[in-house]
Amino acid sequence: MIRLTQIRKSFGRNEVLKGIDLTVRKGEVVAILGPSGSGKTTLLRCINYLERPSDGEIEIGELRVKCKHPSKQEIHRLRGKSAMVFQQYNLFKHKTAAENVMEGLVVVQKVPKEEARKRSVELLEKVGLGAKLDAYPSQLSGGQQQRVGIARALALNPEVILFDEPTSALDPELVGEVLAVIRKIAKEGITMIIVTHEMNFAQEVANRVVFMDQGAVVEEGAPNELFRSPKEERTRQFLQRMTPEAVYSI
Amino acid sequence: MGTSFDISYVFDYFVKLLPYIRITLTIVGCSLLIGLGIGLLVALPRMYRIPVLQRFSQVYVSFFRGTPILIQLFLFYYGMPEMLKLIHIDVTKVPALYFVIFAYALHTGAFLSESIRGAVGAVDRGQVEAAYAVGMTGYQAFGRIVLPQALGIAIPVFANLVIAVLKDTSLAFSLGIMELTGKSQTLPTMSQHFFEAYLSLALIYFIISIALEKLFFAVERRLLRYEGDRDRDGRAASGRKWLNRRFSGRLELQKEGARP
Ligand SMILES: Nc1ncnc2c1ncn2[C@@H]1O[C@H](COP(=O)(O)OP(=O)(O)O)[C@@H](O)[C@H]1O
Ligand SMILES: [Mg+2]
Repeated sequence: MIRLTQIRKSFGRNEVLKGIDLTVRKGEVVAILGPSGSGKTTLLRCINYLERPSDGEIEIGELRVKCKHPSKQEIHRLRGKSAMVFQQYNLFKHKTAAENVMEGLVVVQKVPKEEARKRSVELLEKVGLGAKLDAYPSQLSGGQQQRVGIARALALNPEVILFDEPTSALDPELVGEVLAVIRKIAKEGITMIIVTHEMNFAQEVANRVVFMDQGAVVEEGAPNELFRSPKEERTRQFLQRMTPEAVYSI
Repeated sequence: MGTSFDISYVFDYFVKLLPYIRITLTIVGCSLLIGLGIGLLVALPRMYRIPVLQRFSQVYVSFFRGTPILIQLFLFYYGMPEMLKLIHIDVTKVPALYFVIFAYALHTGAFLSESIRGAVGAVDRGQVEAAYAVGMTGYQAFGRIVLPQALGIAIPVFANLVIAVLKDTSLAFSLGIMELTGKSQTLPTMSQHFFEAYLSLALIYFIISIALEKLFFAVERRLLRYEGDRDRDGRAASGRKWLNRRFSGRLELQKEGARP
């Protein structure tokens, strides 16, 4: 289980997260929606301390970290409990697909190389890249790179996988293959928090949807409820802008 | 000069100079190795913005980039024994070669620290973040992800630096070191065929430079084999631009200094 309590984050004078509370149960898939600049990325990055929250508390599994004065060790342990899939993939450029997936296992979890390689091959086969084990990121399409990114996250067997707009940097024709992989692993009961602008995908894959605006959670609920009958005006306006009908009517 | 050109001297001197390549390459090799250590040490305070040390390393780099290598050689050769005498260390019996290597090492270190800083800064920030997200410590992220990529990026600059140092070692003769240039001065004293001696000397430097260039090119291809051709060409071009700026830097620094 993940529990965020009153997470705050400021960049200088600009308060980007204004006290976020969020609980994600084991095996739950939570989609975070919200306009650009609302703090979605910052929230995800606070969970693994790529950003240092100004205040609040993060609880993952049995680990509980007060954000104000975390020790180096707490940060390290926190990072060990989550994995992240980046918008820009961020695969290790100088390592092959298989090495990318192995890296965390070997270096962080101290899994013997052969075993790590075996697991890496399994995972790459699972995301449909069994034929690209020894390809470097520069030799892969965006969709393929992001699937390696997902395999890399899965390899760590984390408590939660954080997805930050995993398909936003992709050409439209490559979005489908990545969403298909996420759909597949969602069914396996892996806990996930997904920031996305793909409304249909969020509705279909998430157990719960959270709508954020201006650094706060405006509304959350089951996908069907939230998409069909949002309670808040801001949610309604956002959904209207994001649904295809609105695009056609321009 | 009074002697007419005789090509047989060129061959003769060429062969006679060959053994002295060893001394030249020793100076180059040692000063690069030591310079690499110094460069890394000096780059760290600036990369991690360590308050006082950062200032020191800045002064060090500006000094060695902003003064002629020949003057640096003299300063070390004549100045250091005097300084050390003050703390009762007698170095009058230490061979001049050691001073020369030390001076070149400090000189090279200044340039290397700048290259290292540039190369590490050129590694995509997302790479470190991915390493942290995977659970690596800062050291692991630096050693396994940043440094290998920075090395690849730094190779073209490093190659030029090595060749620059190779050529700069020719100044060591002014302290009486018998490396290539030093020897080429003494060889023709009997025959008076100075021109032929310099010609063979130029040939030798030229051949070593070409060989080093080829070697580094091969190393670069190997280190950057993970890059697509497109990336590599693009980066090589920008790298070269950056490098030109670096190396005309010795002149430019004086101009910069004159600016208010
Ligand atoms: N490193 C940073 N420094 C300063 N401001 C930042 C930084 N990162 C994000 N911000 C600001 O925080 C706000 C939220 O950004 P972000 O979390 O990226 O939003 P989202 O992912 O919802 O689009 C934005 O106003 C952005 O300008
Ligand atoms: Mg974002």
